[in-house]
Amino acid sequence: MAVRIAGAAGQGVQTLGEILARALFRSGLYLHGEFSYHSRIRGGENAFTLRVGEAPVFTTTNDVDLLLALNEEMLDLYRPWVREGGVVVTDEAVGDPADREVRVPAVRLAREELKLPIAAGVILLGTAARLLGLDRERVTDAIREVFGDKAEPNLRALDLGYDHVPNGRWQLPSPQFKHGEAMLLTGGQAVGAGAIAAGCRFLSSYPMTPGTAVLEFLAMHAAKHGIVVEQAEDEIAAINMALGASYAGARSLVTTSGGGFALMVEGLSLAGMIETPVVIHLGQRPGPATGLPTRTGQENLLFALHAGHGEFPRYIVAPSDAADAFYLTMKAFEVAETYQVPAIILTDQFLVDSYVVVPALDPARVPVHDHHLPVEDLARMETYNRFALAPSGISPRTLPGVSEKLVLVDSDEHDAYGRITEDLEIRVAMVDKRLRKGDGLRAEVAPPEIYPTGSLRGKRILLGWGSTYGAIREAVERLGAGYAHVHLRELWPLRTEELRHVWSEAEEVVLVEETATGQMGRLIAGETGRQPHRFVPRYDGRPFTAADILEAVR
Amino acid sequence: MAEMSAEKYLADVELAWCPGCGNFAIRTSLAAALAQLGLPPHKVVLVTGIGQAAKIAHYVNLNGFNGLHGRTVAAAAGIKLARPDLTVIAESGDGDLYGEGGNHLLHNIRRNVDLTVIAHDNRVYGLTKGQASPTAPRGYRTRAQPAGSPSAALNPLALAVALDAPFVAQTFSGEPDRTANLISQAIQHRGFSLVNVLHPCPSWNRVQTFAWYKERLVHLDETGHDPGDQGQAFAVATRSGEQIPVGILYTTDRPTFADGHPVLSGDPVGLRPLPSSDVVRSLLATFS
Repeated sequence: MAVRIAGAAGQGVQTLGEILARALFRSGLYLHGEFSYHSRIRGGENAFTLRVGEAPVFTTTNDVDLLLALNEEMLDLYRPWVREGGVVVTDEAVGDPADREVRVPAVRLAREELKLPIAAGVILLGTAARLLGLDRERVTDAIREVFGDKAEPNLRALDLGYDHVPNGRWQLPSPQFKHGEAMLLTGGQAVGAGAIAAGCRFLSSYPMTPGTAVLEFLAMHAAKHGIVVEQAEDEIAAINMALGASYAGARSLVTTSGGGFALMVEGLSLAGMIETPVVIHLGQRPGPATGLPTRTGQENLLFALHAGHGEFPRYIVAPSDAADAFYLTMKAFEVAETYQVPAIILTDQFLVDSYVVVPALDPARVPVHDHHLPVEDLARMETYNRFALAPSGISPRTLPGVSEKLVLVDSDEHDAYGRITEDLEIRVAMVDKRLRKGDGLRAEVAPPEIYPTGSLRGKRILLGWGSTYGAIREAVERLGAGYAHVHLRELWPLRTEELRHVWSEAEEVVLVEETATGQMGRLIAGETGRQPHRFVPRYDGRPFTAADILEAVR
Repeated sequence: MAEMSAEKYLADVELAWCPGCGNFAIRTSLAAALAQLGLPPHKVVLVTGIGQAAKIAHYVNLNGFNGLHGRTVAAAAGIKLARPDLTVIAESGDGDLYGEGGNHLLHNIRRNVDLTVIAHDNRVYGLTKGQASPTAPRGYRTRAQPAGSPSAALNPLALAVALDAPFVAQTFSGEPDRTANLISQAIQHRGFSLVNVLHPCPSWNRVQTFAWYKERLVHLDETGHDPGDQGQAFAVATRSGEQIPVGILYTTDRPTFADGHPVLSGDPVGLRPLPSSDVVRSLLATFS
């Protein structure tokens, strides 16, 4: 079952979508809600596409069963995507009466009965809710959750719409989970919650879509959870502030998109040199330059991997869905602290903005620890060397001002204490020390997920990474025997052994990626010498659906 | 706090500055200021960028963050926000603070983080061999500006006064006691403090020499200047001609970033423990 709510920016598509998602969630159903929008505050095209399922849903769809069109333009644009047997809900004044349309005097009722023209959307939503088979109480709960004290007129609007049709058209599945067994959240909220769970204490960022969602989430929770959140003057300030805060002991996060990350690159290199942990949330959108500000893509893979002058280790993850975003954000913080390296969380607009219902998140799945030297150990040392040449490459770390030992870090090449040096033997030893951390990092990375499990011999593999997970999985399920899905969610260090195995077993490897050039293919080729046999690209700024992949693969 | 020996703050390392450089005296003045205040070295972080002046982080016994060129004040702000319990001093050259890092200076004055910024202002880039800095006068000739610098000099004092920086002072490296005294007052002043330290560069600046400065200094504490008067301070900062004001131009007391901040009023976030599982579960409960 799939529903689309479409209207101009300013008509409340996001709010209506959230109400519908919450009502379905309160009915015990899994769902995925994709928010697609033009980069403008009013007018343009905004659409919320919601899929309902009896199991977790991680991808969107092109065609729907019910279209709620808030204006004529959206009606014309999306009517062709209404499935056979589907329904269109619109205001009585929108478009020509046609088959399969339920026309509601929503604008008139909102004006005359409620004296609140904006409530027309909720009236239409009420009609849609009844057609979908939703309980009135579940929608009432959702409206209360979304509107808070302003719920009252919207509850009346709901009744006006709900009672406009005599009965439902569909019957929803029975509840699949009890309260507390599942969670409704966006990928952006999941990154923010993962950061808090991992002990993030500092965030400095400059607003940039889609990275801003994480800034706003942490700002909302900062006071309660003891986090300093500051909007920096630019992204260069953001990462340098974060590194300062991290040096001083605060687990630090910056959140941005490609353009902002470009400005942070010198700071990324500094993090590598001063071995100071920092986590960078890089929400991708199509480029180059400003590109398509509110759309999605995967074009920053090689950029994230190669950004920064000089050679230093890093850790890169690309969550496949919101639950994964929570766990991998926690892991990114923990790995950054353990190895004193920068960690990059590579998401995209689709993942950040989509609502999804996931099994209840369990923070105990990613243990977090304090990695600083105990003060008693410091007291026994004559001199504290911040960059001591440890076999693992990980020099024991302490903070300034927690003992009488001084802590010196330097962006110049430095000796074990941290003092600037031109001694070229020390230089070589320091490069080796930093790069040795890569060995430990490699062991942290989980192997790629292979579905279905079992032999890959003679199979055609759809290979993907990050948020294309749901679309590829659904495509593989529909393709059936002879196909398998290999998915990467920890991208660097790359697990080359398993990838070599995939190539040696499989009949064909098809890369599915939201780029024009197939960046993961180039990365794997560079690391293993193996190339994808085919590439299914997408770079129009829209997320893949299973149908798109099926069409390209068959 | 008990006064300490200034020697304690000076690292016993080779100093890679040119003979006659004003940086030697500024280093001594910094140590003297810290000694006056009796600040334990491990409770101070000296944040520097890149340039001749920025090497000072290696020449003192303090915690140090020798970061990127131009990003000194940004890194310092991050350290101070994470650790309000530490004294944070940002020190670098005019190219770092006023050129590459100009945006961070502007916005941290707005933020009013409790930082002390010490600018070594010799009007040239020393480390890269003599190009004009933002404070070089128009027409100043260098190998990179053979026809003379085409731009007017930045006036950091007027800028800071206009932005209502809580403490704005200027001094000359050739007057180490006065410099030490001003740095000590700047550290004690709540909020953002700027101390612009004029100093000669015997290697690259043959115009603004030690003698050139000496002839032009006007000590504000001897002229009846009222540092509490922003209009007067702005007039002094923008006065053109042959007189160079030294001393405190402007002081004010306005709310700092930390005043009334819901998080900064508690324990330093840089020292807080990892969150308890109860706290995390209560956050996650909002999604169910």
